[in-house]
Amino acid sequence: MALRDAAIVAYAETKIVEKSDRDIWDIGAEILESLLDKTGIDKAEIDGMLVNAALTGAGNCFWAQSTVDYLGLELEFLQSVDIGGCSAAGAVARAAAAIDTGLCSTVFLLNADTPVAENNLNLRSYVREWSTPHGIIGPPADFGLLATRYAHQFGLDYTSLAKLAIAQRNHAILNDNACEKLRKPISVDDYLNSRMIAEPIRLLDCVMPCDGGNGLLVMSRAQAKRKGLDKHVVPIGYGEKTNLSPGTNIVDVTVSGHAAAGQKAFKTAGIAPKDVGSFHPYDDFIIAIMIQLEMLGFCKHGQGCSFIKNTDFNFDGDLPLNTSGGQISAGQAGLAGGGTNLIEGVRQLFGEAGARQVKNTNNAVVTGIGHIPYGRNWGTSVVLVLAPGN
Amino acid sequence: MSEMMNDLEALAREQVKPFAFSRPYWEATRQKKLLVQYCRRTGQYQFYPRPTSVFTGRRDLEWREVSGAGEVFSYTIAQRGRGPFRGHEPYVIATIKLDIGINVIGNLVHCKRDDLRIGLRVVPCWTPLPGGEHILMFEPARQAASKTAGAGRPAAQKRQSS
Repeated sequence: MALRDAAIVAYAETKIVEKSDRDIWDIGAEILESLLDKTGIDKAEIDGMLVNAALTGAGNCFWAQSTVDYLGLELEFLQSVDIGGCSAAGAVARAAAAIDTGLCSTVFLLNADTPVAENNLNLRSYVREWSTPHGIIGPPADFGLLATRYAHQFGLDYTSLAKLAIAQRNHAILNDNACEKLRKPISVDDYLNSRMIAEPIRLLDCVMPCDGGNGLLVMSRAQAKRKGLDKHVVPIGYGEKTNLSPGTNIVDVTVSGHAAAGQKAFKTAGIAPKDVGSFHPYDDFIIAIMIQLEMLGFCKHGQGCSFIKNTDFNFDGDLPLNTSGGQISAGQAGLAGGGTNLIEGVRQLFGEAGARQVKNTNNAVVTGIGHIPYGRNWGTSVVLVLAPGN
Repeated sequence: MSEMMNDLEALAREQVKPFAFSRPYWEATRQKKLLVQYCRRTGQYQFYPRPTSVFTGRRDLEWREVSGAGEVFSYTIAQRGRGPFRGHEPYVIATIKLDIGINVIGNLVHCKRDDLRIGLRVVPCWTPLPGGEHILMFEPARQAASKTAGAGRPAAQKRQSS
């Protein structure tokens, strides 16, 4: 068996909201119910589950088990996926591996988080000694350090970054599940004039913390066929890199693990960047999209701005980008946010994206970014290539 | 005149809670000394402190006192501080490439907006914590030179102006 013997037979997603008045497990229950309704699968058939490590669940080292208990499932395989923003895409590869080794056959992948309503995060990391004491205001300052360095090495045209922000915003307007507050058009001037958070990072470079959830149901392709679930999506390539170059003191912070992860994923999938039907990169900050375009080989390292200038990122353009708005314009549902772009990639390949449906459904590329290390690039980088299975 | 970045001297600093293997670093800051872990097998320094060499996976590290001189590798100007930093914006967070070959993140103080640039030479300066330890900060090398010469810090640099 191989990665591509697994099938995503259904996807589900809640609306992303500024602050949830519902419990995180209520959101999980909605996702489960939606997946059961869509597939006709009986709850008892689910024998495996992957749950994202959530900000709401932080501090509970029995998070996955508690979630299973509240949802009333009986399982033969259970795993919490705690690679931050990579958890959602990473879970697809892990589900395929679990099925491949016979640990389970029908896997529920749940990503839910409600950090605005209830954030229980208490980081035990370098942050408490080496980051917080210097007034590092979380990721915006880390990305400020990254952006200044990028500008020094290559130059940085902020109107190019504005173009990415606008394309995603226009997609969020077409997405009923996007956070309502963000479903308003923005202009280049709106982007450039948005207030500075950690210069040169502006407000419109950043995600807005939100609450919400999403999920997938994965089984073997053979089983999907037996069940008559002919319409499904298959993972055809995957790459993952955690803690790039730990033994190098002075690293080029504009280089991420996506170069290695992307190369592996594209090679396994048998495609090249020019073949990508739609691109759904993890977007915690706008500049992260540009760096991933470079790392995945859509353009050369340092030439992201000119590539952006010459590319149409709208859903009906050359390279459809985060067609549900991405996290930046749909809202970041905490550590479930990585699932927002993943679900959209799956939805596009199901041909169910409605007013924002892309034409090229040969494949969709989804990525993840998880964790920000001290003075370096990103903790984990993943790249997942999906294709229609029928 | 170029905008002065906050010197963060009026900040009510919170005590840092170190991991056990970092304690030699924090103890040395009581005397405003900078101790950095050194891996003898590879002849390299590493920062931040860890329980093992990131180069070899072996634990035979030693602590060495270093000067802390270096240059700006990157920087960001924080406009939205949190906790004790709220209300002290704009302040500079910089990655400093020390001459010994490590990158260290800290606040860059006694600095105007127009002075900020990658490659700027800096030296350490220290700000006290309630428990007697100090937080490592950096300032432009010329500031330190003028202080040593007894010239003191120009009054204009004490206030924020534009």
